[in-house]
Amino acid sequence: MALHTLELDLAASAAKVTLPAPSHTGVTGSSDLEIMLTPAPLSGRVTVKIVTPVTGFDPLWARVMQKFLDETGLYDTAIEINDNNATPAVVLLRLQQALAAAL
Amino acid sequence: MEMQESMMGRGRDAIEMIVDAGSFAEGTVGTEAFADPEFGPGAVVGTATVQGTLCTIIASDGGAMNEKFPVVYAGIIGLEEGYKMAEAVYASIAADAEKPLAEKRPLVLIVDTPGNGPGKVEEIFGMNKSTAAYQLALAEARLKGHPIIAMVIGRAISGAFLCHGLQADAILSLDAQFGTMIHVMPLTSVSRIIRKDLETLEDLSKASAVFAAGPRFFHSLGGVEALVETVEGMRPAIAARIAEVRTAKAEGRQDDLGPWGRGKLGEARGGRTERPRVIALMNREFAEVAGRYAPAR
Amino acid sequence: MTNWTDLQSCRFIEASARERAIGLVDEGSFTELAGPFDRVTSPHLKLLGDAVAFDDGIVTGVGQIGRTPVFVISQEGRFIGGSVGEIGGAKMVNTIKLAIDFHDELVAKFADLDEEEKPMVVISFETGGVRLHEANAGLLAHAEVMDQLQKARGKVPVIALIGSKVGAFGGMGFVAAATDVIIMSEFGRLGLTGPEVIEQEMGKEEFDASDRALVFRTTGGRHKYIMGDANFLVENSIAAFREQVSALTGLSIEAFEEMRRIGSSAKVKAQLRAVALAAQMQPGDATEVWSHAGNTDAWGLIDLPLSDFLARVERLSV
Repeated sequence: MALHTLELDLAASAAKVTLPAPSHTGVTGSSDLEIMLTPAPLSGRVTVKIVTPVTGFDPLWARVMQKFLDETGLYDTAIEINDNNATPAVVLLRLQQALAAAL
Repeated sequence: MEMQESMMGRGRDAIEMIVDAGSFAEGTVGTEAFADPEFGPGAVVGTATVQGTLCTIIASDGGAMNEKFPVVYAGIIGLEEGYKMAEAVYASIAADAEKPLAEKRPLVLIVDTPGNGPGKVEEIFGMNKSTAAYQLALAEARLKGHPIIAMVIGRAISGAFLCHGLQADAILSLDAQFGTMIHVMPLTSVSRIIRKDLETLEDLSKASAVFAAGPRFFHSLGGVEALVETVEGMRPAIAARIAEVRTAKAEGRQDDLGPWGRGKLGEARGGRTERPRVIALMNREFAEVAGRYAPAR
Repeated sequence: MTNWTDLQSCRFIEASARERAIGLVDEGSFTELAGPFDRVTSPHLKLLGDAVAFDDGIVTGVGQIGRTPVFVISQEGRFIGGSVGEIGGAKMVNTIKLAIDFHDELVAKFADLDEEEKPMVVISFETGGVRLHEANAGLLAHAEVMDQLQKARGKVPVIALIGSKVGAFGGMGFVAAATDVIIMSEFGRLGLTGPEVIEQEMGKEEFDASDRALVFRTTGGRHKYIMGDANFLVENSIAAFREQVSALTGLSIEAFEEMRRIGSSAKVKAQLRAVALAAQMQPGDATEVWSHAGNTDAWGLIDLPLSDFLARVERLSV
């Protein structure tokens, strides 16, 4: 029952944007999540580390993250997420908010 | 482990077991007299000698019921009880105000309490103040040099243990064979509230004492200094602790005592290892910026 | 980054712990200690398979209001109800300790240090107390906080702010009571035993925990102001709390001692007069005490706009 950690290594379809500085947004409230975005020299790629009590949704996480990257073109960034049962819609929204706050 | 007769609800018996025979003067601490028997009956306060040393005794009386505040029975600390205990502490401080450190009278807390008064009248008038008042008084007495020893004989539950026990310099507890209960909540209730099955919690509690119930887990977290194996052992154990605490205070080792000292003990016993790490981290980070917050001159 | 000016008009009750911490002190002055970038998360939650937070649900740090260094502790109710575990508890304890140590350091270094230059501690409560997932460590941390509050006496004033959703209950209810000054909004709630537990203990006829108005009459800001438990009652905005804290900077430590409810034999004796009144009245509802305090239309106080309430209300004096 230990907490589930999922690590992904992804890339946006077209690299467009990266961050000036690390940023932290959100609260790991019920059905919510917090997000840490850290600029990193990753040759255009993006690493993702998700810590969540939920298991069995790894492919869905990968799809949501890929969608976010394709929409925004984020590259050279480490994304860390503490999740507490957020829905994919909330995850996407929070990622967009986190990026907007970081830029 | 052979079970022993429980001391639960027997705060008055425990006083007799701990103090020198016939020495307990109930209702008198220094110049303060607690004359009204109906005032805060759930708390017994008075003065006695323990192996010849004059001490203030503060105990819960599990057999008493407070007629004015019906939620107060079975050792519960109510509005009157919390303030009565605080008054006994302030009276001890006042009585020894002029005395040197080595002569400040010890306070012996006999702990057997299941909770703080949980009622509507209690909330309207602020039960939180009553329990806080007693804790502040104990902390003040401790910092002024009075050795404070808590002896857990039965129940030391959550907020009531914070109130009556956890501000002591040192905490002793009858060991598990006496059915001693030290916890925030029984594991069964924890299981219901945090929605984890009981078996899993019981399993995990073997490796991690942070949510398990019982004196031994508290001992491993540094929440209890020492376990006492027999009722006869209480008096000498308390007397020995008083002497140790006095020495520590005389040597200026206040930081080895009380809640902060138990934090250090928790680290030494391997039960609370995150605490020192985060404290050290904050200290380092503050040292880097402290200059910014000091006057510029 | 969060815009400080925007934060000022933020409703306090909905503001996150970090928004409150940043907005309460001067613009740009807040330095977070053991903040989210340090990624200190609870191993105990992890072991139980529960979600963790990079700050363990509490924001701690230091800022300034004018010339006063202000050590801030701000609890996040959205993370497990703002509950106190080993890490969050240690952050709280050590913030107060840092303030005391900094005070001693400044006093030793500057012979001409004035009151405004001495540190203070501000605690923005939003918690029900101990975190059950790591209950024992959380409990022991509460005792450490109480110890630090007493150690701060005569040196560093400690101000409690209560106006967030969860209120301040359980062990943190008495930690709040042990501070020097309590500032509340009318939406703040302060107590020891939560409404559900009272209902369980006394029965639904005596106390219906789902009756929100009853809960507020018993533990809410207006009631606590009438009882003298809250020293100040302010509007529900970060700016209003900030202004009240700011108005207290520079006061002598004796003035702070005066504002305390408990912490001396004399204050305990005064509280015991209120307890005697409680025994005599056995109020079935807080409004009975409001009437006793001299409010002829006690029920009318509930819906008055705050400024009218403050202008008209009689506070209990025993």
